[in-house]
Amino acid sequence: MNLPKLAVDWLDNRLGIKDLIYQNMGGYKLPKNVNIWYTMGSVVMALLGLQFLTGILLLVYYVPDTDKAFTSVTAIMNDVPYGWLFRYLHIVGSNLIIIFMLLHMMSVLFMGSYKRPRELTWVSGFTLLNLGMVFCLTGYLLPWSQLSFWATTVATDAAGAVPFVGEYVVAFLRGGPSVGAATLGRFFALHVMVLPLGLMGLVGFHLFCVRRAGISQPPFGDSYKPRSFGEGFEHEHHPDGVPFHPNYTIKDLSIIFFALAALVAISFYAPRLFIPPEALVPADPFNTPEHIKPEWYFLWAYQTLKIFPSKLLGLAAQVAAMTFIALLPFIDYGSERRPFKRPLFLTCFFLGTLLFVGLSFWGHYS
Amino acid sequence: MIRKLIPFLVVLLLCGPALAEDTVCVQCHSGQEGRLGAPVALWKTSIHAANGIACHDCHGGDPTDFGMAMDPSKGFIGAPEYADVPAFCGRCHLGVREDYEGSAHGKALKHGGPQCVMCHGNHAVQKASIELINEQSCTRCHSYDRAAKVKGAISQTEASLQRLEGQLVELHRSGIDTEKISGQLFATRNDFRRLFHTVNVEEIEVETAGFATRLGKVDAQIVGIKDELSQRKMVGGLVVLLLLAAGCIAMLIRKSYHDEE
Amino acid sequence: MSDISESNQQRRTFLGILLGGVGVVLAGVLAWPIFRFLAPRESGGEGAQVRVSKAEVKVGGAYFFSFQGRPAVLLQPSAGTFVALSAVCTHLGCIVKWVEDKGEFLCPCHGGRFSTDGAVLGGPPPKALTTYSVNIENTDLVVG
Repeated sequence: MNLPKLAVDWLDNRLGIKDLIYQNMGGYKLPKNVNIWYTMGSVVMALLGLQFLTGILLLVYYVPDTDKAFTSVTAIMNDVPYGWLFRYLHIVGSNLIIIFMLLHMMSVLFMGSYKRPRELTWVSGFTLLNLGMVFCLTGYLLPWSQLSFWATTVATDAAGAVPFVGEYVVAFLRGGPSVGAATLGRFFALHVMVLPLGLMGLVGFHLFCVRRAGISQPPFGDSYKPRSFGEGFEHEHHPDGVPFHPNYTIKDLSIIFFALAALVAISFYAPRLFIPPEALVPADPFNTPEHIKPEWYFLWAYQTLKIFPSKLLGLAAQVAAMTFIALLPFIDYGSERRPFKRPLFLTCFFLGTLLFVGLSFWGHYS
Repeated sequence: MIRKLIPFLVVLLLCGPALAEDTVCVQCHSGQEGRLGAPVALWKTSIHAANGIACHDCHGGDPTDFGMAMDPSKGFIGAPEYADVPAFCGRCHLGVREDYEGSAHGKALKHGGPQCVMCHGNHAVQKASIELINEQSCTRCHSYDRAAKVKGAISQTEASLQRLEGQLVELHRSGIDTEKISGQLFATRNDFRRLFHTVNVEEIEVETAGFATRLGKVDAQIVGIKDELSQRKMVGGLVVLLLLAAGCIAMLIRKSYHDEE
Repeated sequence: MSDISESNQQRRTFLGILLGGVGVVLAGVLAWPIFRFLAPRESGGEGAQVRVSKAEVKVGGAYFFSFQGRPAVLLQPSAGTFVALSAVCTHLGCIVKWVEDKGEFLCPCHGGRFSTDGAVLGGPPPKALTTYSVNIENTDLVVG
């Protein structure tokens, strides 16, 4: 009598799970030359899972009230056993997720994997990156520190540049004329309920797209030939490829372990990297601290707003850039994916990356 | 009380001047010349300004009303006479005033003895430090011998105070809630500073042991926290090593598959 | 070919066991902080005493208060005698009510009845209410 086997057989007889597992694991074939960049999505997913865990734990002791939020976070850091650990993991984890999402996106760009038939994968992935940044922005406010308060004030203020309705948009985002209890309430609801649900749904859709289209052949080596897709749906098969499980899942696992090692190392040795001094002072709506700067992944936007003569132009430039990236697969629709056969794209890719890095550094040191 | 005050003081330190600068006192006097205008610039450099203590906090009057700002009915005091200065400053610095008045300095006040401003200055007053006791300053009235002894007697405790204050700032930066310990240290510092104003070497030496004990307690708490922080790092390092090991093992397994592909 | 694959198989088994071992240790390292984070930090003050002013407890009246984290009640059945009882019904944990007219406790959940010394008078409760010691210190009553 083998109980697990009986249970599996019982389920298999009704739902055909063995076939399902085989199709998505051992029978799911990946191109032979998939590289390390194909693991980035798994790393982001693992880190997201950890964010859910640490976030739920923090939620046990956090109090979303302007009078109590800072005290409750201080208590988590000092009085609750291992509270500091979960808070640091949550903070550092959020930053690592943005880093790995950016790496994921850049590798997809470099290899041209966003092209037909993967336009929807790209759009959903880019939306996920933006969702991640909204996650960070809303989470930022919750400790109700000087940093929380003024970062949110400045970030929501940017929406005021929208013509005609700008002022109302700002008030709507804040739930009032300035950041206050109403803002904390809506950001809290967004951060712990709306965004997690949205994220789970969108990750599901993203994975569905990835699975349906099949894994793209890396555009390197002599064997690579650009494919052209006909009118109908076509799954990209790799009959002589390597099985997803266990051949590739073990590689995913390995990189996940290395990412976790980085997460733990930063959380224990350099959490200050992501916690400026203003984060340790309770919010005071009547005193703006000097030298307030947004988080590193918003520095480019912050600097863009400063460069342009008017806020509206700056905002318009940001929106234009983001829209361009979001719609890239529909603009750059040629079938060539080999990076070195796409000199114009490659130039834009490097210049764009340089611009992002340059603006960020400029924003940091200005 | 003091505990509650500290975060407040920190905030004031960061942002106080912006609040205090908008009084009508500053608006008028900053445009004036000589004796009437100079205090504004001096005050801006002071610890009082940094902590949000403005003109009217000492001189009285109404800082919001141009016409009545310097009216005695609004509590305006103006500049105190030489011998009235200890009472003037002592409205806030109560403990120091008490010990000063009992001291040789305080008893000599009637005969032109030194008061607060002689050593601390007035409008440009800075954070008090042991360097205020120096040969140049003390020999304006008497020989430096006795003053040097007083300085010697307080220097060790002063140094400990400075060191502990620095360590607390560092711990706070690491996310540690230092409010309670800071309160203890702040109270100890205030008691010690007022003791110094007796300028009585014997008394200071007798009391120093008590202060050493109090500071020792603060020190022990700080050492305890630091020990815990370094313990955390040890455990964290082990976990990092375990994760790296797991990553490497998985990579080796991957390699064994790769050989077969 | 099969030799290679066999030795690879052995290597994988060995490495797999190793990875599983490290994984178990890591899971433990994560589970322990989670357990400590969620474990109750207050025992409700075992052995803590509660001081109540005598004036609060009228003759024939009842005074409800929190004792070691749980509801308790003080009574003065006759002038000068004080009784402290747990107010938690021994049946299903509801809080008993004091019925002053009858001089007994009634549990609102399933009608359990208790006397002033905690004994079961009727209903489903399986055992008497726990009694606590009361000492008189000047104008105060010290429970525990």
